[in-house]
Amino acid sequence: MERNDSTMQLPVARPKTRSRVAETMQLRVLRPRRSGYALPPAPDSGWSAAPSSRRARVSRLVLLALLLMQTALSLRLQNTAFEDEALYLFAGHAELGHLLHGTKLYGGFESYFSGAPVLYPVLAAAVDSVFGLAGARALSLACMLGCTSLLYAMTRRLFNERAGLCAAGVFAIAQSTAFMGNFATYDALALFLLALAAWIVVRTADSHPLLTLLAAPVAALAVAVKYASALYLPTVVLLCVLTAYQRRGLPRALARGVLLAVVTAVLLGAGLYASGYLAAIQSTTTARAAGTTPSWTILRDCARWGGLAVAVALLGAFSYVRSGRMSEMPGWRGALPGARWRAALGLLLVGTALLAPAYQLHLHTEVSLHKHIGYGLFFAAPLAGVGVTRLMGAHFKYPQWAIFLGVVLLSSGMSQAYDNFHAWPDSRALVAALRPHVDAHGTYLADTYEVPVYALGRDTSYRRWNSTYTIDYTSRSGRHLTGAAGFKAAVAERHFTLIVLDRGNPTGQSTTVRDALIHSTGYRLIGTVPYATAWGSSRFELWAPS
Amino acid sequence: MSRPTGPRRLLLLALAGSLLAAVSACAPPAPQVSPAAAAKAQQQTQSVETPYDIRPLLKPAHKYLGVAFNGSPRATAPVTAFAEKAGKRPNLREYYAKWGDPFQAEVNRAVWDGGQLPFLVWEPFSSTAAQIADGKDDAYIREFADAVRDYNRPLALSFGHEMNGGWYPWGSKKTAAADFARAWRHIHDLFTDEGAADVIWVWSPNVINPVPDVRLKPYYPGDAYVDWIGVVGYYALSGPTTFRTLFGPTMTEIRRFSRKPFLIAETGVQAGESKPTEIADLFAGVRARADVLGLVWFNLKKEADWRINSGPLSLAAFKKAAADDSFGFDVRKP
Repeated sequence: MERNDSTMQLPVARPKTRSRVAETMQLRVLRPRRSGYALPPAPDSGWSAAPSSRRARVSRLVLLALLLMQTALSLRLQNTAFEDEALYLFAGHAELGHLLHGTKLYGGFESYFSGAPVLYPVLAAAVDSVFGLAGARALSLACMLGCTSLLYAMTRRLFNERAGLCAAGVFAIAQSTAFMGNFATYDALALFLLALAAWIVVRTADSHPLLTLLAAPVAALAVAVKYASALYLPTVVLLCVLTAYQRRGLPRALARGVLLAVVTAVLLGAGLYASGYLAAIQSTTTARAAGTTPSWTILRDCARWGGLAVAVALLGAFSYVRSGRMSEMPGWRGALPGARWRAALGLLLVGTALLAPAYQLHLHTEVSLHKHIGYGLFFAAPLAGVGVTRLMGAHFKYPQWAIFLGVVLLSSGMSQAYDNFHAWPDSRALVAALRPHVDAHGTYLADTYEVPVYALGRDTSYRRWNSTYTIDYTSRSGRHLTGAAGFKAAVAERHFTLIVLDRGNPTGQSTTVRDALIHSTGYRLIGTVPYATAWGSSRFELWAPS
Repeated sequence: MSRPTGPRRLLLLALAGSLLAAVSACAPPAPQVSPAAAAKAQQQTQSVETPYDIRPLLKPAHKYLGVAFNGSPRATAPVTAFAEKAGKRPNLREYYAKWGDPFQAEVNRAVWDGGQLPFLVWEPFSSTAAQIADGKDDAYIREFADAVRDYNRPLALSFGHEMNGGWYPWGSKKTAAADFARAWRHIHDLFTDEGAADVIWVWSPNVINPVPDVRLKPYYPGDAYVDWIGVVGYYALSGPTTFRTLFGPTMTEIRRFSRKPFLIAETGVQAGESKPTEIADLFAGVRARADVLGLVWFNLKKEADWRINSGPLSLAAFKKAAADDSFGFDVRKP
């Protein structure tokens, strides 16, 4: 609370006669007064808009509660490893073996991974070696908790604590946050690094430009961890320009932004030159194969997974453009950013939320959309926080709005995260069924081979497994065959010790393989493993030489 | 407080509308499966047993000693009685089911747990082979296959046995061979589609001796659809009286189009003076051929007395032949 140093002296009349008891009390308990009371002056308001340690402490306590809730929302999601998690983890183990013991690599991971295989996969595999899948997922949780904390810190600097806490709340209960917080893939780490870069540029807006450059290696690392993070680099650079402009003027702000962009680009270029990952970046990110998902479906799911939060952010942006005043202190006269600056910030942050959906609409694919929405949500969340504070009004005049939004966002986020986390089968039954048939010498074909390779890593090697996407098969007659012909020949010649097909999610040439198996005398169906996901039920089929 | 003006009201309405749309968009999509089906699948996933791999039963090192009797598969007392008389417990039990009957998983499980491979002979009295092949009974077949899949234990299955004979509706006089083979493949495909993997498919013609003009190959659905060839033939008072003459011609014809192993899927010796000798001949014939997996004794008094205890000498001969180490093994540990 703000206090005034000056005090006001008020005369107080002394009692003319004092009893014995009162005199004793005066002597023993009450301080002797010299000449009456000294009352502080009454301030204009019972609180202040200026920062204070009490406000910081209360805000951090609320943030801690939000982080605990986010942890609970993530950890309530339980399922076995998804194929991407399994792939990155077993690839990470292979890379670790290569780095530590010089074991030869066979996967060609760098040719199709959507992030550098020597970064996140190695880190996650190292954690997995000690703590297992739960440990690797806990790493993601730590990253996502870091994102929420950085979001709060960034929003607090852009607006105020209340907006920061509301932004953190909107982000913490989103389905993408809960999902990525318990999902061992690049995403959480990449988003954390992007968040860190964004926070650095906001935090160092009024510092020396070289300090802002600290964001460059972080942003470059985010792109190296997951190539698609590059989509958000312009946002970080523009955020740098906008925040610097407020304090330094346009020329310096532009110079700072250019400097950040150039240094980041140089770092990325150097990394690209040293690693030779350009082909992988093209195949997985910039020239990714287009899908066939209808635009309407993508739009509908975008609206389901992030629509409300972005709508609140839009509301916040409109409201912020109309009035930049973030304090409800009566008579507050702070320096307000101009309307154009506010509009630019609103456009930048809310527009960033639309980048991933727009790109996926362009590609007609929904792959990982539920996660990618979380990237945009991080940038839109500050304005969503503003939106919530504006809906609540000054002095929490309309708390029902925040309660309403909180309930809807929380319940939809929980149910959507649960559905998305159970979009793949629990593989425990499958792994138990495969275990008796798998050893170090067999040759295996599977629709989603990554999961058994990861789960049965002690018994088998990823080199012994083939996906249904590609095959490079040399027949007994010496013919070199690929594609459908290769799979058919391999089945006809009983090349595989075991074939695992997913009836509910046939991939690549799975249907061709199954047709060949049904009419084959060399293989028989030896068992099925039923499964249920959030979207339906189906079964795995196990085929083995008869 | 002043009331919102026109543009401001419009803006507020638009914002409220977009919020409402966003809230409604958060609603989960309609489930793609019914809640009941999803719950059942979830339950199956949680209580799933490891799939039973029947491959060791396809070509075991020892011979099957099977039996068919009245009351099978539910009755258990006849098995005990047979084992006591024969001196060896059978490890395969044949029984008959009408087309349209449900698969009795619990009964079959009890047979398996009792140490016998259930051998179901499926008799399509109520539908023709062409109707079955054309999909008329797909719902029934799929339901049956689902029950077999969930049973998750081995089951030998013969559809339309003795198809080359003229005495059944699905036999050569009333059913075209192509339709029979088509129906067989259709049933097999539906079983595979439903994931019923633990079926040993037994294609079961009668010996060709009484129907020498009916060729077997047109009835054969193909090696991809058959595991065993179950030949049916009896030592009757009239007709062939040796393994070679009773089963030989049929096996020779079948070997021209398939290398699948044989099972004597139904056999017996009619009561008479030569019964002990013919019992010994039967067992010797099965033992002599590595490609014959065993025999199923028709232990009934039907039209004639085929039981092992039709006379003391017959019983003694059966006991002696069955005592050979080649016959009988624990199907649960092949």
